[in-house]
Amino acid sequence: MMSPHSIGIASAQPRRRWNGYQTALWVYAAVFFVFLYGPLLMIVVLSFNDSRTTGLPWKGFTLQWYQSLIGNNQLMAALGNSIYVGAAAAVIATFLALLLGLAFRHNFRGKRLVLYLIITPIIIPGIIGGVVLLIFFGYLGIRPSLFTTVLVAHVNWVLPFAFLTLYPRLHNFDKSLEEAAMDLGARQWQVFREIVFPIVRPGLIATALFAFSLSFDEFIRTMFTVGSERTIPVQFYVLIVEELSPELPAMAVLVVLLTILSSLAGFVLSRRADTKLSS
Amino acid sequence: MTPLAAARAPMAVKPIGRPAWLLAPGVMWLFVFMIIPVAFTVVVSFWSSGYFGTKPDFTFKNYLKLFQSPLYSGQLIKTLRISLEVTVLSLVLSYPIAYLLSRARGAIKLVMLVLLFLPFWASYVVRAFVWLPILGRHGVLNSLLMGMGLIDTPIDGLLYNEGAVLVGLVYVYTLFMTLPIYLSIERIDKGLIEAAADLGARPFSIFWRVLLPLSWPGVVSGCIMVFLLTMSAYVTPQLLGGPKGILYGNVIASQFLGNNDWAFGAALAVALVVITVLLFMLVGRKMKIEQVFTGGG
Repeated sequence: MMSPHSIGIASAQPRRRWNGYQTALWVYAAVFFVFLYGPLLMIVVLSFNDSRTTGLPWKGFTLQWYQSLIGNNQLMAALGNSIYVGAAAAVIATFLALLLGLAFRHNFRGKRLVLYLIITPIIIPGIIGGVVLLIFFGYLGIRPSLFTTVLVAHVNWVLPFAFLTLYPRLHNFDKSLEEAAMDLGARQWQVFREIVFPIVRPGLIATALFAFSLSFDEFIRTMFTVGSERTIPVQFYVLIVEELSPELPAMAVLVVLLTILSSLAGFVLSRRADTKLSS
Repeated sequence: MTPLAAARAPMAVKPIGRPAWLLAPGVMWLFVFMIIPVAFTVVVSFWSSGYFGTKPDFTFKNYLKLFQSPLYSGQLIKTLRISLEVTVLSLVLSYPIAYLLSRARGAIKLVMLVLLFLPFWASYVVRAFVWLPILGRHGVLNSLLMGMGLIDTPIDGLLYNEGAVLVGLVYVYTLFMTLPIYLSIERIDKGLIEAAADLGARPFSIFWRVLLPLSWPGVVSGCIMVFLLTMSAYVTPQLLGGPKGILYGNVIASQFLGNNDWAFGAALAVALVVITVLLFMLVGRKMKIEQVFTGGG
């Protein structure tokens, strides 16, 4: 890190001090990661504890909390709802983002303004994103349900991320093929179907999966737009607030695994899409 | 110009599609489902609410209530203060991690990145919940302390107060600080730090005079995000705060989920949007809005 050509002896001492700082930093990092993971690991431990009150002392190993989850119809219904609304929101947002991304390859007036409009849902706090839709749909007389109010809230939330993920992929690919096709007289639709679409398809899939994982974990906007069909985060939250039932840790572990799985799939596919793009 | 060079040049032909048609669906969606609802909420915030619900009106009553009633203005001020505390705490906790991450290489870097991201891919509500069985009366911390013989009876004061909310919020939002700072440290020319070290600068003055000023855009991005996330936090204070620890977001929510005072709730919401927009405008003078999400890059 430091070159030895500075004044011989004088440089040896600062280096020792540097190493001291480095060690301190690594020790700190270890503490930080314990802070990050301790609570999560503790939940895993508690999910196997044979005790009706959630917490310690340890009263023996049991799988009964996990078993009771499998027979939990509300939870399974919530899982279905989360998957349906996530898939619908992902498809709609990815489609809208694709069109917006194609538009952004042109130069047009008010481009910056449109960009601000697209990222508005990220800038507006989540609770406001939920409240404004509650008021809006409330006065329109539209009753809250999964595929009306909740879906709209989720598309709002994931659209900016879908656009920001997809746009670089639409912008950076080698455009010579596209140009050649147009020079040869291909129609615009043909150029899109035969050239642009195949190139961006991995990016589209990655974007949709990313959008799905964001929707899957969405809570606050859903809270204000949800009717009787709950999503996974809402179901979990309601269970915490209504009754501190002993299977909560087991459910927490399950929810975490599902959420990480959905995020991981999006991440891996998006990385794969990127390597394909650059090769 | 050789054909190859021509291919690399900016597109000679126009990109496919007409911008107006391509923009229409997305812009329409956001206009109908985002802009109009926000505008309508501003309108409702001037309505009046009585025993029979909210009715159209033009009154500043709701805003006066927010700023004059010690209950609500107190909540707003308290939330601003806690947001500041969470921001500063996250900054102090995150900066060393962001720095280490930028120094790490190869497998260590990858492992650190995955370790950092993994909890944030896990469910948000679960990460707010985990502190409940840890800090609670029958919680892990109490039984550990009792097991070690440090206390005889469980401490009740661990949960349902501002401290618990502070810990919970730092826990759920700290990555929004770490990430932009890391991204901005990564962009610093490493030669500058080595040059400062070669010239005999002490670690602290390297940090204070080189590292911090150059990573400032990331620090600003992280602070804005954590501050705004805390300002509008709902789940964490609701679960861990109790009556003493609830924040502004909970006050907004209760107008809709409890009190049914939509006009006042709308005014509370508009006030939060105004704070958000003002903060972004302030930063917007120094960097582009979208750079806030990438640490100034």
